Amino acid sequence: MRQTVNTKFKQELKDFGVGNWNACFNCGNCTAICGLTEKGFLFPRKSIQSIQMGLKENLEKSVDPWLCYYCGECSDTCPRDANPGELMMSLRRYLTSTYDWTGLSKKFYTSKFWEAGFIAFFGAAIIAAFLIFLPPSEGIFSNPDAFINNQGGVMINSMVDGISSTQFIKIIEYGDWTMAIIVALLLISNIFRMFYKVILKDKSVQIPFFAYFTEFFQLIYNFLTQARFSKCEKKSYWVGHLLLMTGYTIMFLVIVVLLPEFQIEEVKPWYNWQRLLGYYATFGILYFLVIAAIERLKKSDIKFKFSHGSDWLFIIMLGLTTITGILINIFRLTGMPVLTYYMFVLHLAILVPMIVIEVPFSKWSHLAYRPFAIYFAKLKKASYAKQSIKSQLLTT
Amino acid sequence: MEEPRIGVYICWCGTNIAKMVDVEYIAEEVKKLQNVVVSRNYKYMCSDPGQDLIIKDIKENNLNRIVVSACSPRIHELTFRKALENAGLNSYLFEMANIREHVSWVHTDRKEATEKAKSLVIAAIKRVAFHDSLEKRYVDINPATLIIGGGIAGLTAALEIAETGKQVYLIEKKNSLGGNLAFVDLSYPDMNSISQVLDPRIEKVINHPNIKVFLNTEINEVFGYVGNFETKLFENTKAEEILKFGNIIVATGLKPFDPSVIPEYSYGKLPDVITSIEFEKMLKSGIIRTKDGKKPKNIGIIHCVGSRNNKYKEYCSRTCCSTGLKFANQLRDALPDAGIYELYGDMRAFGKGCEEFYTQTSRKDIVFMMFDQRNDLPKIKASTHNRDFNMIIEINEKLSGEELNIPVDMVILLVGAQAQDNAKDIAHAVGISMCGNAFYIERHPKLDPVATTTDGVYIVGSCQGPKGIIDSVSQTRAAVSRILGTIAQGSVQVEVTTAVVNEDVCCGCQTCISVCPYTAISFDPENNVSVVNEVLCKGCGTCGSACPTGAIKSRHFTDLQILSQIEGIMSLELEEI
Repeated sequence: MRQTVNTKFKQELKDFGVGNWNACFNCGNCTAICGLTEKGFLFPRKSIQSIQMGLKENLEKSVDPWLCYYCGECSDTCPRDANPGELMMSLRRYLTSTYDWTGLSKKFYTSKFWEAGFIAFFGAAIIAAFLIFLPPSEGIFSNPDAFINNQGGVMINSMVDGISSTQFIKIIEYGDWTMAIIVALLLISNIFRMFYKVILKDKSVQIPFFAYFTEFFQLIYNFLTQARFSKCEKKSYWVGHLLLMTGYTIMFLVIVVLLPEFQIEEVKPWYNWQRLLGYYATFGILYFLVIAAIERLKKSDIKFKFSHGSDWLFIIMLGLTTITGILINIFRLTGMPVLTYYMFVLHLAILVPMIVIEVPFSKWSHLAYRPFAIYFAKLKKASYAKQSIKSQLLTT
Repeated sequence: MEEPRIGVYICWCGTNIAKMVDVEYIAEEVKKLQNVVVSRNYKYMCSDPGQDLIIKDIKENNLNRIVVSACSPRIHELTFRKALENAGLNSYLFEMANIREHVSWVHTDRKEATEKAKSLVIAAIKRVAFHDSLEKRYVDINPATLIIGGGIAGLTAALEIAETGKQVYLIEKKNSLGGNLAFVDLSYPDMNSISQVLDPRIEKVINHPNIKVFLNTEINEVFGYVGNFETKLFENTKAEEILKFGNIIVATGLKPFDPSVIPEYSYGKLPDVITSIEFEKMLKSGIIRTKDGKKPKNIGIIHCVGSRNNKYKEYCSRTCCSTGLKFANQLRDALPDAGIYELYGDMRAFGKGCEEFYTQTSRKDIVFMMFDQRNDLPKIKASTHNRDFNMIIEINEKLSGEELNIPVDMVILLVGAQAQDNAKDIAHAVGISMCGNAFYIERHPKLDPVATTTDGVYIVGSCQGPKGIIDSVSQTRAAVSRILGTIAQGSVQVEVTTAVVNEDVCCGCQTCISVCPYTAISFDPENNVSVVNEVLCKGCGTCGSACPTGAIKSRHFTDLQILSQIEGIMSLELEEI
């Protein structure tokens, strides 16, 4: 089937990142130097060639951008400074927007107005909801000591009048679950769209049925270990990324699934599991954020030379979330109920819009897309193997 | 005839000859031959001491014939002839035996090689005894020059020669000067206006007192020889005019390839498929529009149209790649948002600044796609599905392996170059030859690329092969300097080893006239004999061998000389002679 060149595709792609594909003259150095590319998934060259020629269909069914972990070797050694690594990054942004059926992803990636507006609106709504429905108790101003427990920490669930501390934590927990379910449904539907585009729509592949099960462990294994990233030459990126991912995931589980264990009135000793997990997660996230921010400002490493708006937004939002989270902890442990309350509200006003934007629509979705891409790539490989056996049988 | 006193010199050529041929033995052996006065062998005969040896022997031993047995006469015949002249001997009393290329380099058996070399030396000794003294001849040069073709090459030649005060006749078959370049908007890679360069030159040529321009004029036949040519002009309706001139520059240029013979491109069927010439006119007018008057949104530029394909022309037309890049730049400037697709077989942006031009162009959002120029041309098809485009180019993209449809609303075919329709007539008129592609053949592809095998006739510009402005102009200036050189000399040396007719023996059968490849023989009806024009004659000997009565003698290749050479070569044993 002949593919029709999409003459407007490049214009469309320009908003998703750097657009210097014109510099590329298809020498193939990038693919030659890449440690992750392999037969059937030859990137970045093929992807860039598809951009140059406007082969939108090719790109939309491709998992190649997800198989790249952006070590930056290709960009470092590109003879034309076409920056293939960053082009792959732009493609990941673009693909994220194609998987999303709501159209919000494209809006967030391509319009700062939409992105900032959404965050501001959502954040303001959360602050307003707290101040109207869960306003701070008068007592925390007039008699703050009444809200301090016997370990000297603020009793965080008792700061609102008219409801008991068990009711308060329930409200927060329901809110968390609602957010988590909405976000998960959006992400799952997007993953299904990815599956449709990559596997079902690609008529050139016929996946052997059992491969769906035999290859499934790849999904879990790669999600947990990000083993593929470790194959890149610069191992420190993998370590940093793994810290961030585990830290973030732990934090997410703690605030959604384990909230009743985590947000409690008493202050547990520092070696308690919930505090240790919290410290680990905070360290993991902070370590990554500090390094990423420094590198993006320094711009000496090619990987961090070009920063899309979404890259900075992610660092800033996660940074603010972490800082407000740490501050809650400090105010709470030092027995300052007023500051604890306001920091708690501010923390949620940053955290919730961030998760709602990032997880299904933006950067954080790659947490799911990458392991799924590896899974889909394995399925395609199984299909290629089957087809080559078939063709061998036919010829003999 | 005086008694021949022959000197024989066998060269070692270092070890080149000596390792395979026993040169000392041969030198000793040929001493036994009649008339051989001196016979020597020496390391390098062509060296100054080697030549001095010959000169000294001529003077001391009163030699009157010389044989040098060494390399090919193509390499050193002139060297030794000069040595003879320096010794006061006529240079034609000399013969060379080639025992290097013909013997030592090609044989492996030293004994047999020595025998072969010996028989070649004997043949030369036998021949040289019958050599005659021949005198050099010169003819005067008419300082006027005829230039055929009024393109950039012809115009340049005309101005260059006229500026030195010499008369120029410039002949152009069309009704205006400028040639193909007159249609072109900008030059590559510098993107300067062509008309700013061309128009003042045309103006200057038309008004120059030393240049006479003949428009609407074609050449039928040129008579004469270097220094003294003559032609009759038939200028449209005007009366005929006779021109006399000493040199000719052929600058007839090229004809654009007609793409309608390529079915894949649908030229002539789809209105928005146009040639590069038509697009140049569009650029000159400043308005790029489809036939419907719309601004094109997606434009395909197809390279190598008619070039480098066995079905059409096998050669490269040399200007199209960079022209395509030029178009891409002009289109990008005029239509910043348009899709521009360069479809090429191979990109050959050669020449000063052109590779850089390619690199710069590739950064302007131009899509380059490669196709198989020999076996799988892209196809242009009409498309009615979409308002945005009316054509589809089907291409099997070679670098990606993808089968693609490119939606376009304008396609520019970069048509190749081919020889003019009347190339053969011109070749016949001025006496030059053509290669298989009807381009004119130069005397030597490397060392003499502007002259032809006919003295006084030069080929410049695209009539010799497709080329751009720079190459055409350089070639023209090279030819001009050659012509001005001969004009400055005032006369030119002509071949002396020509044919002569013995009028007493000639029966007037005119066989020689029909076989002469240089039209050098004419018939004298009064005396009923053939007459050789010695200036035109190249001494090829065809007439001599064809003559049934033996009336024609080729100087320096007389029957006696050749027969005695054969006799020498056949005598394996010295005792036989």
